[in-house]
Amino acid sequence: MILRPVYAVIEREVLKLFRQRTRLLSAMVRPLIWLLVIGAGFDAMLGRSGNLSYQYFLVPGVLGMSMLFGAMLAALSTVYDKESGVMRMLVIAPFEHYWIVIAKTLSAALAAAIQALLVLVLLFLLGYLKNGVVLPLLIAGIVTTSLVCASMGMLIAAWTRTLDNFAVMMNLVIFPVFFLSGSLYPVQHLPSVLRFVATINPYTYGVDLLKHAILGIEATSFNADFSVPVNIAVLLGFTLLATVIACLRFSRDTAYEPLIHLLARKRSD
Amino acid sequence: MRRDIVDTSLAIQAEGLTKRYGNTLAVDGLNLDIPTGQFFGLLGPNGSGKTSTIHMLSTLIRPSQGTARVAGHDVKHAGLQVRAAIGVVFQESALDRTLSVAENLRFAGLLHNLPIAQINERSSELLELFGLKEKRHQPVSELSGGQRRALDIARGVIHRPQILFLDEPTIGLDVPNRRNIWRFIERLRTELNVTVFLTTHYLEEAVDCDKVAFIKQGRIVKIGPPHDLIDSLGAYIIEIEGENLSALIASLSPRLGPCFMDGDKACFRFTGKDIASLVMLQAELGDKVTGMRWRRPNLNDVFLWVNETELWQTRKT
Ligand SMILES: Nc1ncnc2c1ncn2[C@@H]1O[C@H](COP(=O)(O)OP(=O)(O)O)[C@@H](O)[C@H]1O
Ligand SMILES: [Mg+2]
Repeated sequence: MILRPVYAVIEREVLKLFRQRTRLLSAMVRPLIWLLVIGAGFDAMLGRSGNLSYQYFLVPGVLGMSMLFGAMLAALSTVYDKESGVMRMLVIAPFEHYWIVIAKTLSAALAAAIQALLVLVLLFLLGYLKNGVVLPLLIAGIVTTSLVCASMGMLIAAWTRTLDNFAVMMNLVIFPVFFLSGSLYPVQHLPSVLRFVATINPYTYGVDLLKHAILGIEATSFNADFSVPVNIAVLLGFTLLATVIACLRFSRDTAYEPLIHLLARKRSD
Repeated sequence: MRRDIVDTSLAIQAEGLTKRYGNTLAVDGLNLDIPTGQFFGLLGPNGSGKTSTIHMLSTLIRPSQGTARVAGHDVKHAGLQVRAAIGVVFQESALDRTLSVAENLRFAGLLHNLPIAQINERSSELLELFGLKEKRHQPVSELSGGQRRALDIARGVIHRPQILFLDEPTIGLDVPNRRNIWRFIERLRTELNVTVFLTTHYLEEAVDCDKVAFIKQGRIVKIGPPHDLIDSLGAYIIEIEGENLSALIASLSPRLGPCFMDGDKACFRFTGKDIASLVMLQAELGDKVTGMRWRRPNLNDVFLWVNETELWQTRKT
């Protein structure tokens, strides 16, 4: 009964992803820039290479980054749907409105996972995935990180009514989430305040799981910070919690009414 | 008084339906009984509460007071059943401009849980019906305003609703395109046999409705079949233009009844049948006025005269 509508939302998202070439291209190029410019730059400065290089440490972080940006942009397209009026098609259809949140979360996660796979292929071709990638952990990492990023994005989208706030969101949410996540430095080496922030940042656990999958198990100072079960529990727990909150927010009549108001009178103002 | 019996021959039933936004009373105690199959028009100027009414009946906003049943289901407690039975074409487009014509219909169809084969079949039928067949694979952003509205209507009926809500389907279109849209609505009514609930502020366009209600500041001020309402005004509307009309109006009012100022024109209703007396009146006025003409009344006049009789009555009491 609800499968076709959910599929409809996912199909539309994937269709748009492959139609927006620049979005796809920048999703591929952005991680590479970090890896090649920041990573290689640090290594040149510190004179390190191989398994202990900073560039190598960055690999899980840039893979996570492709999902963070991919999922956030897809989830925030919900706001665009509100503004452009496409949301009308969704709210008038005969299912509970929280399904819109669930379908959008799934489609944003899928869009993120697709972009992560493309980046993964690129990383492989460039030789960044060498010794012993743990495949099951990598798959688990991509699935859970995509979901956590998508549900974070939906949480924001449920509270955002216009795209004017979009740039603000990017700067105030995506970048802090990325910088304070252990993507660029091991969490255990951060000053205590930043370490605390990184610990409550759910995205940290996604990157950490990817570190387990990609960096291997040898004891280095670049190791993962948390155990695999902790990572997965936090990631799934946050996804569930965020989705429930976003659903509640979206289904509440009073919360919804201003949206219809906005839809009905946008151009007349 | 409340009726608790569900009358299944009624597609839409509203009692005391009210919507308040803070201090604004957008819809004020609406009572409606719309039988299945009727072509119903809710007419009124901008801001009179038409869209709020449609949004309440289609479960998108909650009534502040009162009840409504659509297709036999309560809009407050059985929203899903109501939404499954209706199609809504909103005042503003609901289309995705980046998708093609066919992709939009596919998206809408899937959201209504239709199998792909059925979506394809109905899409072809509807695009044929609305003359959009050649545009099938074009992005919506490349369609003209009229084509886009037609597609939006097709989008609203892809799941064959029992009841179709059309909120100002011709707003913002030029005259030829408006005619097209009316033709499409007519075709849909004969093909699908749906109950149509339509709103418009181009009042005179609604003459083909079975029944119209005039709404003003959230209240229904007149309701009935359009031709009855028009006929009740009289045979002709007399329009007089000129300078210093007030003296003239005072002298004509005893004979012609109340006067209504439409801009700088003085309008009277002419209830007699005899055109000869109109010609005589014209001769009598002669060069005291710059112009006098008479014409058949339309729905616009019905609304204008509702206001006037109200004013006139309050002036008298
Ligand atoms: N969400 C809202 N908040 C506040 N006022 C509103 C809202 N929606 C409509 N209104 C007001 O209610 C009245 C009726 O609006 P509407 O139903 O859109 O009329 P129409 O469709 O006939 O133009 C208007 O005065 C409008 O300003
Ligand atoms: Mg309106």
